[in-house]
Amino acid sequence: MIVYVARRLALAVPTLFGIAVIVFLLLHLAPGGPGTGGADAARRVSGKAAEEMRRLYGLDRPLPEQFARWMGRVVRLDLGESFVDHRPVSERIREALPHTLALNGLALLFALGLAIPLGVLAGGSPESGFDRASSAALFALYSLPTFWAALLLQTLFAVQLRWLPLYGTASDAAPAGLAGLADRLAHLALPVTCLTYGTLAFVARLVRSGVAEARSSDYVLAARARGASRARAIWGHAFPNALLPVITLAGLLLPALLSGSVIVERIFAWPGLGRLYFDSILARDYPVILALSLLSAVATLAATLVADVALAAADPRVRDGAVG
Amino acid sequence: MKSGSTAAVLGLLVLATGCQAPTESPAVRIATATATAVRPLPQLGYIDESGQGTPVDGGVLRRRLTGEPTTLNAVLQSSLPEAQVLQYVQRNLFDFDAGLRLAPGLAQSMETSADGLTYTIALRADAVWEDGRPVTAKDAVFTIRKIVDPKVPAQVFKPLFEELVAVEALDERRFQVRFSRPYAFRPMAFVLPVLPAHRYEGQNFLKAKDNRAPLSSGPYRFVSWKAQETIELERNAKYPGPRGHFDRIVFRVVPDNTTAYRMLLDDTLDEDQLDAGLKQKASSDPAFAACCRLVEFYNLDYNYIVLNNRSPLFADARVRRAMTMLLDRASIVRGLYRGSARIISGPWAPDSPAYDATVDPLAFNPEAAARLLDEAGWRAPSPGGAREKDGRRFEFDLLVSAGSEIGRQIDEMLAAELARVGVTARVRTMEWAAFVERIDAGSFEAASLAWSAVDPNPDPYFYWHSSQCAPNGLNDGCYASPEADRRMAEARQELDPGRRVAMLRGLHRLLRDEAPAIFVVNAAQKHAFRRRVRGLVTSPLGLTGIWPGPLSWWAAPEATQ
Repeated sequence: MIVYVARRLALAVPTLFGIAVIVFLLLHLAPGGPGTGGADAARRVSGKAAEEMRRLYGLDRPLPEQFARWMGRVVRLDLGESFVDHRPVSERIREALPHTLALNGLALLFALGLAIPLGVLAGGSPESGFDRASSAALFALYSLPTFWAALLLQTLFAVQLRWLPLYGTASDAAPAGLAGLADRLAHLALPVTCLTYGTLAFVARLVRSGVAEARSSDYVLAARARGASRARAIWGHAFPNALLPVITLAGLLLPALLSGSVIVERIFAWPGLGRLYFDSILARDYPVILALSLLSAVATLAATLVADVALAAADPRVRDGAVG
Repeated sequence: MKSGSTAAVLGLLVLATGCQAPTESPAVRIATATATAVRPLPQLGYIDESGQGTPVDGGVLRRRLTGEPTTLNAVLQSSLPEAQVLQYVQRNLFDFDAGLRLAPGLAQSMETSADGLTYTIALRADAVWEDGRPVTAKDAVFTIRKIVDPKVPAQVFKPLFEELVAVEALDERRFQVRFSRPYAFRPMAFVLPVLPAHRYEGQNFLKAKDNRAPLSSGPYRFVSWKAQETIELERNAKYPGPRGHFDRIVFRVVPDNTTAYRMLLDDTLDEDQLDAGLKQKASSDPAFAACCRLVEFYNLDYNYIVLNNRSPLFADARVRRAMTMLLDRASIVRGLYRGSARIISGPWAPDSPAYDATVDPLAFNPEAAARLLDEAGWRAPSPGGAREKDGRRFEFDLLVSAGSEIGRQIDEMLAAELARVGVTARVRTMEWAAFVERIDAGSFEAASLAWSAVDPNPDPYFYWHSSQCAPNGLNDGCYASPEADRRMAEARQELDPGRRVAMLRGLHRLLRDEAPAIFVVNAAQKHAFRRRVRGLVTSPLGLTGIWPGPLSWWAAPEATQ
């Protein structure tokens, strides 16, 4: 197992380097540059001032040299400074990261926590009334566009019923202690719902089909024949097998924890990484874009690794090298 | 007083509605009456409420920022959200008042030498920083030197000091600035913030702590900044001028327009700028009418479609004129702006002093435009066919930036009209930074642009003089006319305001006829306010581009807690 992990880690290094090169090239090949303005730029810069800016940020240097300088800093874990506000990129990321982690972490937790029992219940008795009803509901959820759902939820719960706050992470006069925590959770409720339902629908369908398929397999029949209860046969025998694709999928869902959601963060005025990423792209803030892309690449590689290890733990065939 | 008379007028309207519809069911009649009674009358035109009512001190004003400021260093500012916050915290040497005249701020006087090259500025004796130190000539000199420093990206102020020769302090309170050339609009360069030199000593200017927590010289002082969420200010007790009416100002960063609109209704914002869609919604939304009012006025912004004069398509003034005559601007005003826009005939908004109201816009006239195209040699081989000249078809890309929905609609209207006379225009939507790169390089045929005025300087030199052609200057379409060049160069050297205005107005007529671009419309600004906010003053520079501007706002007492 240790050899397996070590081999995977060694492979991750060239992969990361490749990603860094590609992102760097794409960024510099894309039209526009720093100083052509962000979302709120009211002015355009004349040729002379623009030239001064390029020199100031070292953008007049040849691309390989710029890349080497950037890589040189990155390996020393220095992400550089934002072109926009001249603060360390790591500081800007540190400000936004907790907000995105809270939002997406809860969303993923709810999605998996609800999807698995739903999927198992539906898959345990395919074509039952519950299966049909949940299928219809999940398909409907899956096809709801997020921005529309967000506006609808805001209208209903924040504007009309006034149960939940409209936007933001906390109230202005945030109370201390438990009340403060409740306030933060109330602010999380709507954006978390928006980020949850799509994943929930998707994962639930996946679990359902896995369980439904395993249910009619020989080993489940054998378990039933040995006198295992229906619930025991489904949860103890069909479900672990249906879980394998979910583990792989969860590995792909984890990086979303870091990437944030531009639309939801925008609508709920949520100060997360999605907004930082989006604003940085508009402003062509190269150091921030590069850092966030790298961060998400690292997260993806790490999550796939974790998923593979988990899969190996769950499936003896993977562990012993028989499959995959 | 004014609101009282408005209520009386509305009362009459309600009565009239009741009389006209006697057969309606009671429920319907009540609904109609309510809607009529509370619908805010859109105010299209400048308002000045500074003399109305007795301002009351206290309360919190909650304003919206569309994006996160990147800095609160006044020299490094580059966007509207930054300017909106800084206005409360850092005073300029001079400011524009609602009549677009220069009014003293930190400075009390400005003297110009006879040759127009040297400016001597005296600071107010009582100008003081929040930490108790006086604002000195040394601070002003430090600020101007930083602006011209090649290592400082002071995008906004650099162009104003490109002809700077020297700046030096004469004594504690007076300093002198010398330029290499006289320039008619030079005094506007001193609508300029001043930074506290003592706070930047020994610090990296771009990363100084003060850039995110500035020392105040204005009526409010900085309190806190939660990244991407809020910036809070409170009254500055050390400020010698008239104090602000609100105890605190809270700026909220709200990128989404719909969310901001709801926050206004939800009483978590007091003010917001509306886009065309939300303005439509607001004017028929009873919830809006109950809490808020709509304020509409014209500023100096306008939009236009720049034609690349270097392209063989648009080198001929007749062709360019035909393009203007093929855009139905009256329909645009009616359909896209629902009446709240004005057709323009030159590169200024109608409220700019340079705008000559006697220069009529070219009328929408496809037949005459087709004749002009024929005359210029762009003929269709068969009636209704595609026009061509010297083997080249008349077709081009019409660029528009992705954020500009109305710009795209205008382009589509133009393209449809052009198709009828045998010209193909393909509307291409581009992401902003990519779009700007094409425009800056001058590599386009035609593009939709919006002019956003931050000062009343009408000098057309930077935008239409042949020496300023892209990529070196901002004359994007590279309009080059010796006659226009001469007039522009003369006007900017003319120190007599009356003669200067006359010169610019002559130029206006020429630019209408030579049509270097299709000048489209000057559209109204649309703002929404909670009804408790009083003392609004609007101007051609908007609500916040003037002094005291938002500093004169106050909250009506019944809602002040």
